[in-house]
Amino acid sequence: MKRQAWVVIGAMLLGVPLLAQGKPLTVTGVRGVTFGAVLPGVPRVVLRTDPANSGQFDIKGPKGGPVLLSFVLPLTMTGPSGALMPITFGASDGGFSSTASIGSQVGFDPRQPTTVIFPNNGNVSVFVGATANPAANQRAGAYTATITLTVTYL
Amino acid sequence: MRITKLSLAVAALVVTGTTLQAQTNNASITATASVQTPINVVGAQQLNFGNVFPGVNKTVAATDLTNGGRFDVSGQASTPVTLSFTLPASLSSGSNTMPIASYSAIHALLNTQVGGVAFSPAAGATTPLSGTGALFVWVGAQVQPATNQAAGVYTGSITMTVVY
Repeated sequence: MKRQAWVVIGAMLLGVPLLAQGKPLTVTGVRGVTFGAVLPGVPRVVLRTDPANSGQFDIKGPKGGPVLLSFVLPLTMTGPSGALMPITFGASDGGFSSTASIGSQVGFDPRQPTTVIFPNNGNVSVFVGATANPAANQRAGAYTATITLTVTYL
Repeated sequence: MRITKLSLAVAALVVTGTTLQAQTNNASITATASVQTPINVVGAQQLNFGNVFPGVNKTVAATDLTNGGRFDVSGQASTPVTLSFTLPASLSSGSNTMPIASYSAIHALLNTQVGGVAFSPAAGATTPLSGTGALFVWVGAQVQPATNQAAGVYTGSITMTVVY
């Protein structure tokens, strides 16, 4: 009986921190990557530190735990009549901010899954930069692509 | 029986913890761009020296609307473009050549050349397209036929490249 009680207590102790960390994990797409006006033949770079044009995700969730960030990144943007325009992401185009501030980021490669540690308040932001590479004869018009961030609490 | 209940309780806690640890979520944002009008360049008029006599230099001014070479450019309205040229050093007629001593150029927003700006085609120029996305460029040059220049039709290619 005494041994069984210890088992239950141990299990509860194990369960308590897990429940505390188990705050619902939410990911919100706050802002898209905006290239604005792009001239044919002229690459357009949006830095992850650009407060107006960089992409931003806000994440709320576990406190103080390791979290895996993984992106699904497009290779092209789609425009009028199915015209395609290459979009590229560099090795430092991802930015993780443990203070949810664009002014305080640690760069990472969004092309690779990346593990980060959440702060104790469980609120972070992820920023994204990219480069649009229009051809010299790129068809004029509006182009779009989707960037998806998946967050997994490890 | 009591042991079984405790085991279930432990199992439930462990299962609960495992589920919480495996939380995953995702969201998407959109990348957007507005691609502007591509540049189009047309060789609208040839640079024409007409009849040239041996030993007599012949000049066609860039201001010569009839004989000067002309390129018509279209693109994104009011957007700066850079002009650069590939200029032949001579004209050719078979194996015979005739030197081109100099070049001149003018760019203007109107095809009448009103308000045009002279520039050296060898150096190139940067200028905005008009409010309707147009630009006109004229090229002049001087040929220097030798006194013993062989008779014939001489030609050469002038290429203008325009980039944003």
